[in-house]
Amino acid sequence: MLDLLVIGAGLTGLFAAYTAARAGLHVRVIAHGAGATHWHAGTIDLLGYVENRDEAVANWTQALPELPPAHPYRLLGVDAIATALDAFQQFTVAAALPYVRPGTIMSLPAPSASEDESSQTRGQVEQIDNDNLGRNCQLISPVGAPRPVYLAPTAQQAGNLEDDRPLVIVGLEGMPEFYPALSAENLQKQGFYARTATLNLSPLLRRRDISPLQMARTLDKLDAQAQFTEMVADMAAPGERVGLPALLGMDAHTRLLTQLQEAVVDRGRDSAQHSDRRGTVLSVFEIPTLPPSVPGLRLDAALRIQLAGLGVRVEIGMEVCGFHATGRRIQWIETETGSRPLRHTARNYLLATGGILGGGIYADRCGRVKETVFDLPLTAPHARSHWLRPLFLDKRGHPIFQAGVSVNHHFRPLDQSGAPVYDNLWAAGSILAHTDPIRERSREGIAIATGYAAANGVIKSQ
Amino acid sequence: MQNTTVNSVGLSLNACIKCNICTSYCPVSEVTDSFPGPKYAAPQSERFRDFGHPYYEDDSGPISRPLAAGRMPDASVDYCSGCRVCNEVCPTGVRIAEINARARARIVAARGLSLRNRLLGRNELLGRMGSVAPGLANFALHNPLSRKLAASLFGVAEKAPLPRWHRETLNRWLARTRAQRLRSERKVIYFHGCATQYYEPFVGMAAILVLEHLGYEVIVPPQNCCGLPMLSNGEFGAAESYHRRNVARLAQYVNAGYPILGTSTSCTLTLKEEAPELLDLESDAGTRALKLATWDVFEWLRERLDQDQLPSDLRPLKQSDQPFILPYHAPCQLRAHRIGKPALDLLARIPNLDLRESQARCCGIAGTYGYKTEKYQIAMDVGRELFDYVASQANESDSDSRGPVSFTACDSETCRWQLEHGTGLPSRHPIELLAAAYGLYDLQARRPAGGN
Repeated sequence: MLDLLVIGAGLTGLFAAYTAARAGLHVRVIAHGAGATHWHAGTIDLLGYVENRDEAVANWTQALPELPPAHPYRLLGVDAIATALDAFQQFTVAAALPYVRPGTIMSLPAPSASEDESSQTRGQVEQIDNDNLGRNCQLISPVGAPRPVYLAPTAQQAGNLEDDRPLVIVGLEGMPEFYPALSAENLQKQGFYARTATLNLSPLLRRRDISPLQMARTLDKLDAQAQFTEMVADMAAPGERVGLPALLGMDAHTRLLTQLQEAVVDRGRDSAQHSDRRGTVLSVFEIPTLPPSVPGLRLDAALRIQLAGLGVRVEIGMEVCGFHATGRRIQWIETETGSRPLRHTARNYLLATGGILGGGIYADRCGRVKETVFDLPLTAPHARSHWLRPLFLDKRGHPIFQAGVSVNHHFRPLDQSGAPVYDNLWAAGSILAHTDPIRERSREGIAIATGYAAANGVIKSQ
Repeated sequence: MQNTTVNSVGLSLNACIKCNICTSYCPVSEVTDSFPGPKYAAPQSERFRDFGHPYYEDDSGPISRPLAAGRMPDASVDYCSGCRVCNEVCPTGVRIAEINARARARIVAARGLSLRNRLLGRNELLGRMGSVAPGLANFALHNPLSRKLAASLFGVAEKAPLPRWHRETLNRWLARTRAQRLRSERKVIYFHGCATQYYEPFVGMAAILVLEHLGYEVIVPPQNCCGLPMLSNGEFGAAESYHRRNVARLAQYVNAGYPILGTSTSCTLTLKEEAPELLDLESDAGTRALKLATWDVFEWLRERLDQDQLPSDLRPLKQSDQPFILPYHAPCQLRAHRIGKPALDLLARIPNLDLRESQARCCGIAGTYGYKTEKYQIAMDVGRELFDYVASQANESDSDSRGPVSFTACDSETCRWQLEHGTGLPSRHPIELLAAAYGLYDLQARRPAGGN
């Protein structure tokens, strides 16, 4: 019998499954489709904006009191969020995809064991000291705007806007979804020195269209990595930071990043500094592109590999069509198949199906909103006329996007009277009410912090 | 639960949010420009074809309309292998592979079908013809000259892993061993599919031996091809007549409440879903009853396991303390059932079996796809992910100084042939492994233990 069945394979579900499986629980993940990890930028955005304030949040620990009392972050508090993030950072180190706060000086990780068998060392993540705890930084968005981020993978570190080194934003011929000129122009308006360059990758990839994903997979190959590194190094001027669309390899990403970094830094250095080959100042960075997002896919793959190592199966293509409960215990759930419903039985269930976009909440034309698995009570605007504000870009966001499941401090879904609906059900991630993760720029922070907390609730209940 | 009718396939395209997750997982568009990717080929193009679906409704119900010039689906849709990985990963439930299959059928309806594709769709006929004189047929087909001729005359890829006719069909084995077959109050029906009947009767033998070991009498009624090879080559009319014949032949058993079990994942998927859905037969009572009665054999065995009805006398597969390393690939046709990976749950009960679960998307062959000269290399490139996975398991075990990998396992026949072609290792159906672990079957020689 499973100890925990996680429904949903986004960052919330996979990280919660990882947390529970590491504690020795027998865990499985099922999901209707691939998770929203494929849509996000691969950074951990904790809290970028709060209501009624124009400027971005500089330090999220200080902004928490401005959130509504029922907000998931208020249920957790700073310490619980920091603990969850610490666990996430440790996971990223174990997975050889280290995430740190941009601006934290870090050494470049050596290629992971799977990429280069001779090397056993992995990137070192430095502890976030108390002075820096909660400090957001600004990374460059695809259009050259600042986006508030808390943790980022190595490949995005050098896109930090606290850094005033000149920039070259590199586009690729034939790649339709990335416009370096737009990006550079917006950066210039913010006072940066930014120029553009274009690479022609047709010798590497004889394909009609270049999607970031195809390019990333092509750049896993050794010879392509060498050619590409040569092209980038030839184009970079001394002292410049090089911004590229996020396609710097999938499985052999770290190896390519290391090569590029060394090549670019070598060209820009005088011989006196040459002894410090593995420079601490990163000069090559990725800028996330439209979905499917390569940095998001890397994070998804890292989670899946770690889960497989823990014996956790992730089964995709399963849509819940029913469940059975006796009293306050869920006995089983059913998913649709090509023929008869398939029954899944577990001691505990974690709902991590996401919000309206992820499919955890269904909203119809008549103004009804429904939680799609257990038909849980939702906190949502009463009528469709209250879903949206008149202005599309209203800074307060739209009430419908705060619709979701209300939970207690243990992340147990609550009924209207404030009592847990079921004794063996937890909920986490974008399905939670009282938060608008897209507007707040808190998607991944909510996913990690609430997923970790809910998994620990399950562990303690065992 | 979503109602799957003719319109739900066509109209599911409205659920597409253009997130490109399907494009990022499509194993075909990753290796070739010939196929633009699921999102472009299906939901995006379909919108511009004939109002989004091949039928529209008026007061008298759904009727087909003639295709207007210029609304013909683009020929690139023929490069969809139909593996359904796109359906599996789509977060919003678009029936992408089915939209493509219907688009292909519209091309075939308007432009006709090549002789090669007509032949590849006639798996059953070819099987029956060859089994008249299997030795001769094997010689006639499996020599370099005829493979060259088949490639240049018909476009059947010279190197693609064509099966060999077995000296004895499953039916002849059943007739010969009639006296040894178990009679019981508890009965199941076995749907063997064409490949088991003519090329791999031993897979059927393994299934029958295991089911009898559980105490069930196995009835193998007359049956014919499920119609899938015709469906995937766009020949919907012929597929429908095959399907209707199966519905009629199996009706008495379905009505008596017996489960229909299959070892061929694509045949069972066709009975469950592909034929009803693509041919718009979901409202046909017989089709519906057969759909609900059909099981993948491991899906059914898993229910027995969950109800503690599985005999526990499973023995290690080799007489040694070393774990038997087995890379297992759940084929896309099995994953499309949405039943998880039930073979893993059963095989995990075999002592000392070190199961390795492949996460590869597809072996590439996709039924008849990889047999076509213009698609052979695509199929091999798609399969590379799986072949490399198997090779990495072998390497890893060597360095552990354990025994090398000697078999792979996979539930689908053409996938096993492709796996053998791509890895050089023999591949087995999981039911053969289970039968061997029960001591009923010789895994090496592929015949019942004791030589029957």
